[in-house]
Amino acid sequence: MNTLLNKALLLQNTRALVCAASSVQSQVLTTQMPLGLLLTNRQYRSMPTHGIGKYRHLLPKALPKKKKDRVQAKQIKAATATEFGVFNVCVSGYDMTLVEHYSQYIHNLCNHLDIKADESYALPTKSTEVMVMQEQGTKMYVDAVLKTHERVVQISEMKATLLPILMEVVLKNQPEGVQLCVKQHTEVDFQSRFKTRPELEGLLAKINN
Amino acid sequence: MAAPFTRVCRPLWRIITTTTLNKGARNISSSRQQWSAQNVKTAVAASPWALHGAVCLQRLPVVSQDRSPIEEEFMELMHQMELERSLLSDHELRLLEDAARMSRKQEEDYDSDEEDEDYRDKEIVTAQDLEDTWEQKLKQFQPAPRSQGVDKKDMGSSELCLADSLILLVKKDVGSQKLWLLPQIQWQMGETLRQTAERALASLPGADLKATFLGNAPCGFYKYKYPKDIQKEDSVGAKVFFFKAVLSGHKHLPLEKNSFAWVKKDELQDFLKPEYLKQVRRFIMAL
Repeated sequence: MNTLLNKALLLQNTRALVCAASSVQSQVLTTQMPLGLLLTNRQYRSMPTHGIGKYRHLLPKALPKKKKDRVQAKQIKAATATEFGVFNVCVSGYDMTLVEHYSQYIHNLCNHLDIKADESYALPTKSTEVMVMQEQGTKMYVDAVLKTHERVVQISEMKATLLPILMEVVLKNQPEGVQLCVKQHTEVDFQSRFKTRPELEGLLAKINN
Repeated sequence: MAAPFTRVCRPLWRIITTTTLNKGARNISSSRQQWSAQNVKTAVAASPWALHGAVCLQRLPVVSQDRSPIEEEFMELMHQMELERSLLSDHELRLLEDAARMSRKQEEDYDSDEEDEDYRDKEIVTAQDLEDTWEQKLKQFQPAPRSQGVDKKDMGSSELCLADSLILLVKKDVGSQKLWLLPQIQWQMGETLRQTAERALASLPGADLKATFLGNAPCGFYKYKYPKDIQKEDSVGAKVFFFKAVLSGHKHLPLEKNSFAWVKKDELQDFLKPEYLKQVRRFIMAL
């Protein structure tokens, strides 16, 4: 009886090991069991290795991927007596490295002074063709193509007492060849970033007419 | 016998420091209605301090500062590294192609039909020719001089040190003595302190300066008491609030040397009184 029990236990142990590898083989094993010992596939909750291979509960909750909605216009906060609302600091120039580095500098300065920089985006590059009139003749030919780059750092809810300090630092460190412009953020500024949809507008006009 | 040990307790005189910026901001309001409402409340108890608004007008640097020798060397090194790491541009590729084409032309078994179609246009104007024309144009370009050649002693001109930021000082009689200070004027009822500062700038005799004020909040504060003989029941002294402004526009007529001066931050101590200087130095940045 002992030997039988030992055999059964040994077999059970080996079967548990093989179960981890594949479940098909376990079915084969159960048929080979002597003495009709019914060994099922299931591991009982009291078994120390119960649920040993589970990992799904450890991963972060992945929400079902929903379709991207249209970018909503954020509520433009109005200015109060001690704080400014939302305003844009536009940096523009011909030299892209200077413009980008300067806008990065302004952004880092705001982070350092605990000023909230909401957004920091780039406006599309504008190309300007410089045409030169020929000396003998009336034809103009293209002399150079200048590209104007523009970067915007949007700042919101800044203390009014901090503005003169920030403006002075920014103005004193302005590099040559870069223009700085500080203006209030309006709905028009927000809408100008989007591409126009001519066919949609045409259809809308047709509907209205 | 031990001498009696007495401890002398000196009373601690606390120097009441001037108020912080926050307090200054609360006194200022940006709308006229709020100010007049406040005035009604304070009409009952008038403060013995007279209010003045002053403007700290700065001319920002026009050119970048000169580099130190180490900076020059480093810049050269960085340029060289960047050049070595960069890829060839379109123009440089064209130069190489033209050179290869020239060398091919010299060979005996040269067949011009084997070249590409767009060779015809490039044959007339090669990349080298373009480069030569560009160099000619560059030689004709004259950059503006880095220093306007103004004598250092002429403090009245705003074209002085183009690489530094300068501050405007005026000589005013205060009481019986002539002092150098930032332009200031007394506050009048019913206007904001920023308007006072603007008025202070506009009322300077003989100066036509256009400036942009940076913000509505003052940047500094100075308090002084009148000398004992002038002090009355209701006028003990004056409080001056400073506002920052930046000079706009380029060409300005040189100002009178005796009453105006454009100074750098380190030259301020030659002009201003020590107490005044201590307060003014706090908000002037020498970057």
